[in-house]
Amino acid sequence: MLKIENKADIFHYRTLLFILSFSILTLLSRYFYLQVIEHERYSSKSQVNSVRAQATYAPRGLILDRNGVVLVENYPTYILTVTPYELDDKEKQFQIISNITEISVDELSTRYKKYYQGQFLPTIIAKNLSFAEISQIEERRLELSGFQYKRFDERLYNDVLKDAHILGYLRELDRESLPFLDKSKLYRAGELIGWQGLEKQYENELRYSKGIEYIEVDTYGREINRINDNNIPAYPGKNLTLSIDSKLQQFSKNLLTDQRGVILVSNVDTGDILSMVSNPSYNLDIYRGETTDSEWRDLLSNEGKPIINRNIAGLYPPGSSFKIITALNLIENGLLDPEDSLMCTGSYLPPGSSNTFNCWKEDGHGLVDLNKAIAQSCNVYFYETVQLIKLSDWTKTAKIFGFQNKTDIDLPNELIGQIPDKEFFINTYGRWGWSERGVLLNLTLGQGDILVTPLQSLRYINHIASRGSTAKLKLNANKKVEYYDDIILSEQTWDRVIKGLYDVVNSEAGSGWRAKQSEVKLYGKTSTAENPHGEPHAWFNGFFDFEGQTFSLVVLVENGGGGGAVASPIAGQIVKFFTNEQVEIVNK
Amino acid sequence: MSFFNNYIYGSNEYLGRLYLIVSSLITFGLITLFSISADPLSINSSFMRQVIFIIFSLFIFLILNQINIKTIHDNSTLIYIFSFLLCFVPFFLTPVENTYRWIDFGFFYIQPGEYLKCATIILIAKYLSNHQLEVKEGYIVIIPILIALISSFLVLNQPDLGTAVIIFAPVLPMLLWAGVSGFTLFLLIAPVITIIAASNNMIFNIWGVLMFIIFLAFQGSLLKRIVIYFANIFTGLLFPFFWNDFLNGYQRQRFIDFLNPDLDPMGSSYHIIQSITAIGSGGLFGKGWGQGSQTQLKFLPVQESDFILSVIAEEFGFFGIAIMMFLFFMLIKTLLDIAFKSSDYFSSLVIVGLTSILFSHIFVNSAMTIGLMPVKGLPTPFVSAGGSFMLLCFIILSLVTNFSKN
Repeated sequence: MLKIENKADIFHYRTLLFILSFSILTLLSRYFYLQVIEHERYSSKSQVNSVRAQATYAPRGLILDRNGVVLVENYPTYILTVTPYELDDKEKQFQIISNITEISVDELSTRYKKYYQGQFLPTIIAKNLSFAEISQIEERRLELSGFQYKRFDERLYNDVLKDAHILGYLRELDRESLPFLDKSKLYRAGELIGWQGLEKQYENELRYSKGIEYIEVDTYGREINRINDNNIPAYPGKNLTLSIDSKLQQFSKNLLTDQRGVILVSNVDTGDILSMVSNPSYNLDIYRGETTDSEWRDLLSNEGKPIINRNIAGLYPPGSSFKIITALNLIENGLLDPEDSLMCTGSYLPPGSSNTFNCWKEDGHGLVDLNKAIAQSCNVYFYETVQLIKLSDWTKTAKIFGFQNKTDIDLPNELIGQIPDKEFFINTYGRWGWSERGVLLNLTLGQGDILVTPLQSLRYINHIASRGSTAKLKLNANKKVEYYDDIILSEQTWDRVIKGLYDVVNSEAGSGWRAKQSEVKLYGKTSTAENPHGEPHAWFNGFFDFEGQTFSLVVLVENGGGGGAVASPIAGQIVKFFTNEQVEIVNK
Repeated sequence: MSFFNNYIYGSNEYLGRLYLIVSSLITFGLITLFSISADPLSINSSFMRQVIFIIFSLFIFLILNQINIKTIHDNSTLIYIFSFLLCFVPFFLTPVENTYRWIDFGFFYIQPGEYLKCATIILIAKYLSNHQLEVKEGYIVIIPILIALISSFLVLNQPDLGTAVIIFAPVLPMLLWAGVSGFTLFLLIAPVITIIAASNNMIFNIWGVLMFIIFLAFQGSLLKRIVIYFANIFTGLLFPFFWNDFLNGYQRQRFIDFLNPDLDPMGSSYHIIQSITAIGSGGLFGKGWGQGSQTQLKFLPVQESDFILSVIAEEFGFFGIAIMMFLFFMLIKTLLDIAFKSSDYFSSLVIVGLTSILFSHIFVNSAMTIGLMPVKGLPTPFVSAGGSFMLLCFIILSLVTNFSKN
């Protein structure tokens, strides 16, 4: 069968020869085009190419408190990077590195994959190298082609204030997040970026500006020459000075001890936040070095939710402080004479209903006018008077105090509370499943479907303290003072309400008497907010004049019990701190 | 001396020319490798490794020359099955760079897919030579395509898109050589063009009309032509779904990079950009041996194998490339001459098939370095560094020598 004769056709031979000639000529003409016609262009391009551009770094900005105490600084560590293309024998070289650094080869490979960003770009595979490790790497330089160590600054948190919720933290940038970042900032995988809190909020200011240096490299990719002509120097990031007073912050934190809750203190005139405590918190040191997955899981699943900054992301029923909303409506719209008194017998029976609504004081407050109702937080007075107000008017008043907006604090991830309006009730309970009168009985006590963040509550009390025109809350001391939209109410209305708040603390039967301080006039409102999670939340919202400036505070103890019994003494302690430590707080 | 003469000039006058061309190519390759090796005389340099590969391959070449062509013909099915099974071996070994293409022998790697190419050709050639009387019938193409398809599917799973495509390269020339009718060949090419044309509505419409005219011009049953015509159109319409659902991310990426190399200069199209820069900066006479800055500073990736032509273009200029292209042209032409002059049908077909493989490597590799094709890990015959492929080239050479003896 091998004897079948070859019958190859000359035509077929020529066809293939033609295809061959055509293909070779096509290739040749393209080479000619590139090498002869376009030669100049590529020639100049190739000269630029033998010089490699390399990023240089500078320190990140520091974070200071209002008195210049350094809260966050940098400490130098060394990192190990690897340029994938220059590796000779990945397995073997990783083994060497593993022996030196005691990081497993698996872990090295995982990081290599995670931070890989291209054949020719250095990938970070180890951090926090000691000098001993660096010198060992240097000794075995020739075996470790492609590996380089570099100085790399990490964050160091001062013991004065290690508040994770405010400061936030840095995280290593992974490849997945890169596309979402500003390209002009030249972020690279493996670098640190502000990931939470102020570190994130002020990333652009704190971050250094990267420099570029040009180096000529040899056949091994080794540096042979530095070309200093066109280098762009790296500049350190700007320092950030906070409005926080770290002493006050520490003091407030100790007041909460192991209770869950928040303490906020602010300067009403400037919007500066002097103290922002959210308890429980967690230790920022977990972001240094290596944190294991299980530590992380513990943190995330912890019942006390230490990860959450309750000030901006905790939603709570506000309780009795919302009686002020009702009071403002009554006075401003002339719905009643504030001097008129009602009889509180300890319970209230709405017309046409069989359910009675109780006052917190079982045997009643007796005759109650508006001032007494605020001072002693009488429920029955507000049950009756809220019947004079339309739901839409009531929610409108709540909204002008910003409860439907963010406070625009300079922190990421702020949440907005919830002021239920007519639309909300229809959507939730159907058109006939609720009644305006019924829901108002709840709303006037700040209960039911109302939720606020403590920071929103602070803004609310600041509005009252400043009679409608208050500065935007902020943590950056050097940020320009801006104002929220003015709330315009008659002077007489403000007078009435503020008098009520004064009596809360200073009158004989005021619900906040435990907060009273002899040297400072403190105004405030206690709240005891019922909630489905157990004991009521204890609130105290208040403000006081001190050394010619007005300061405000919000205390919330989660499931702590009564506002008067639990939150008021804490508020008193804070005011006392002011009188003891006056100089440092006021001088700025 | 007579032994030597027999080898060089043998029974076929073209063999001498073939060896001369191959020696030139190898020499050119070695000179280039010497230039890019940091320490050429160390045992681990690509230059020394290449020298060792060549000596080893030459040795295998001499052994294989002793095998009778009849043995190969009679055992072609066995050879195919053996190569086929060899391709499964890597799946049981640790993957190299996340693929199952290689068998590691310590000093060098073997890529079984390469040998499957040869085995596929031999099997197809045997089938065609056994059915020579039926070549004018359309169905003759079915078995060869099926064989190629099976082989291709296997290597596609390694995964090796490049080799999977190259396995098809010999099929058309072999069928043409065997005397299959022009219309049948057109039917084979048409779907491929349809798929490529499907990327653009305008081109797809032009191609639809053109195909219609060609179908009118050919003879045969009207119904058959209409069915095939619409089958083609539907292939084109369905292709986008195939593109989205069946190709790997990296395969799509390579294709996209090819279409637009400036898109991501530090990603995979970095290769193409650096290669073109190296080639273009070479100019007419090059920068001189060992003077290519792109090459020497390692901006040019995988320069000893995939991009060795770019090194030649940078260091020896258009002048050097022209010589290379001339040598390649002469290599293929000489092989076609041998096939044409070969006395039996089977040998002739095998040589055409092997020639097609060498040519497709040359073309795809060159076209890649100048950005005419996507980046594919296909080395250049007799020039690129690499043991597995060098051995294959010598096996091909030995088969050609064998088959031209008759």
